[in-house]
Amino acid sequence: MLKKLNDLQFVIGLFFSVVSVILLLNVLLDDHSSNLNIYTGSCFLVFGLAMMLIRGKGN
Amino acid sequence: MSLHFADYLIILVYFIFVIGVGFLIKKKIKSSNDFLTSNRSIPLWITSLAFISANLGAQEVIGMVASGAKYGIMTVHFYWVGAIFAMVFLGVFMMPFYYGSRARSVPEYLSLRFDEKTRGLNAISFAVMTVFSSGISLYALAKLMESILHWDFDISIWVSAGIVMIYTFLGGLTSAVYNEVLQFFLIVLGLSPLVIIALQDAGGWDNIKHLLQPEMTHAWKYMGNANDNPMGLHFMSLIFGLGFVMSFGYWCTDFLVVQRAMIARNMGDAQRTPIIAAIPKMMMPLIVVLPGVIAITLMQPALESKGYRIPTAANGELDYTMTLPSLIAHYYPTGILGVGITALIASFMSGMAGNVTAFNSVFTFDIYQSYFVKNKSDRHYLLVGKCVTVVGILISIVTAYIAKSFNNINDFLQLVFGFVNGPLFATFLLGMFWKRTTGHGAFSGLVAGTIAAAITHGVTVAEGKGGWIAPLYPIKSGMGQAFIVAGVSWTFNFFTTILVSLVTKPKPDEQLKGLVYSLTEKPKYHQQKWYLRVVPLGILLLVITLLLNFIFF
Repeated sequence: MLKKLNDLQFVIGLFFSVVSVILLLNVLLDDHSSNLNIYTGSCFLVFGLAMMLIRGKGN
Repeated sequence: MSLHFADYLIILVYFIFVIGVGFLIKKKIKSSNDFLTSNRSIPLWITSLAFISANLGAQEVIGMVASGAKYGIMTVHFYWVGAIFAMVFLGVFMMPFYYGSRARSVPEYLSLRFDEKTRGLNAISFAVMTVFSSGISLYALAKLMESILHWDFDISIWVSAGIVMIYTFLGGLTSAVYNEVLQFFLIVLGLSPLVIIALQDAGGWDNIKHLLQPEMTHAWKYMGNANDNPMGLHFMSLIFGLGFVMSFGYWCTDFLVVQRAMIARNMGDAQRTPIIAAIPKMMMPLIVVLPGVIAITLMQPALESKGYRIPTAANGELDYTMTLPSLIAHYYPTGILGVGITALIASFMSGMAGNVTAFNSVFTFDIYQSYFVKNKSDRHYLLVGKCVTVVGILISIVTAYIAKSFNNINDFLQLVFGFVNGPLFATFLLGMFWKRTTGHGAFSGLVAGTIAAAITHGVTVAEGKGGWIAPLYPIKSGMGQAFIVAGVSWTFNFFTTILVSLVTKPKPDEQLKGLVYSLTEKPKYHQQKWYLRVVPLGILLLVITLLLNFIFF
């Protein structure tokens, strides 16, 4: 894990994945949450996972 | 605008990540070159994104949205006339000299090509400019957070400066560059939803064109007469002042951005850095100009029901600098609001860290090592580089407080920066492409260009600024005045350098190999695939840029 963190793609992917989880959790926990959080959170999650996977494939 | 738990959590996660990057890089820092120049080891995709991200500070993001609202689509000239052509020129023609000369900084190149006094003049003015720019960026961030979120000014200053200091102190240039890439994605992805929903709310581009005055949605059509367009500029002034002097001066000679290309792994990557960077740069108007145009459209009577207004300043006029924050406040709910605010914070930090890392490289190598303490161990210069990082941040904080006390200091400093930067490109152009150019010529040209810039500003007046010698020539916009000042200073530098060079002794050819075009072996591209060669890539980018200009003519 520590080795992976040395890779910038992995760090960026992890950051956007964490932010997407916060956005999506906010949707689940807040009844008044906007759909914009769902769309943005989903896009961030796809981007974040893609960045981490690209890094994995690269290795 | 008020933030909730989820918003604060996103800001906190961002802070943890940027500091974390600093800690991860720290163990790779073994020498002063690692700390100050990244030891020329950074991959192409990172140098390219860092290249545009170093410029993606507060001035770019908030300033360009403001210009989009004030001047309309003409603001794209900063990209499609200015940046792209200059970036291609840097990659194809200038990087071979910067990278091939093995100089660690732009002032060091000047010392190799000309002499120590030219290097000293450039290094000192650049160091002063960067550290003050960093302070102004810090002030702007704290002021913005105070006005939109009611955060305490002092806390904003110390927290943001403290975070930038931690990650630049730990990991030096590499840490700043890595964070710039993270910041780039955050700014682009964090602001993209805003553009999409605001554009939808405004009824799409066709409706914008229908609702706004035509000069706000045409880039060139109304530039035949200076009185017909919001910038008050004739197209020739724009092409020469912005397209040639200012843009080439900034993109090709400012060490803050050039440094990102100089840390690439090899010459090919160094040349490709600004060219690859030009691809996202070309698209940036979608993120930083279009929101401004949308904002002004949303204020038209037909869209009054949308309930959006650009805030007004104390004098009752529209406060264009608040356009982006007010759009974020209007459209972003809790959660994504945290992303938007974090994107704004990232843009400020990116600008500040870029300035600080460029400052410590130039101060350590071009001032301290060159004039004060020579021939010390590498460990000594690494320590000095780290200390200078802390000192640079502290000076930035002091500048931020000075800016708070004296509002005009921002305008004054920007003005002085313009005087110094405006003529610089003439020095490099002559130095790289005319081997007869001498050190005395370059130095005299820089001084003459700076004086000419100050005098031109003193006799022109625009939006109440300038005219401090005699208000002889009124100009419609401050931006137009800046282009004219830059054009005059460049011209004075160019001809003064030529005249003085002709009567002074040039360096022998042997000393100019690798520093001047005619005496340097040209890079060989024919073994590479076409998409790796800088010339075909550059031509392709220029063709696309011309097409974009044509589409939005």
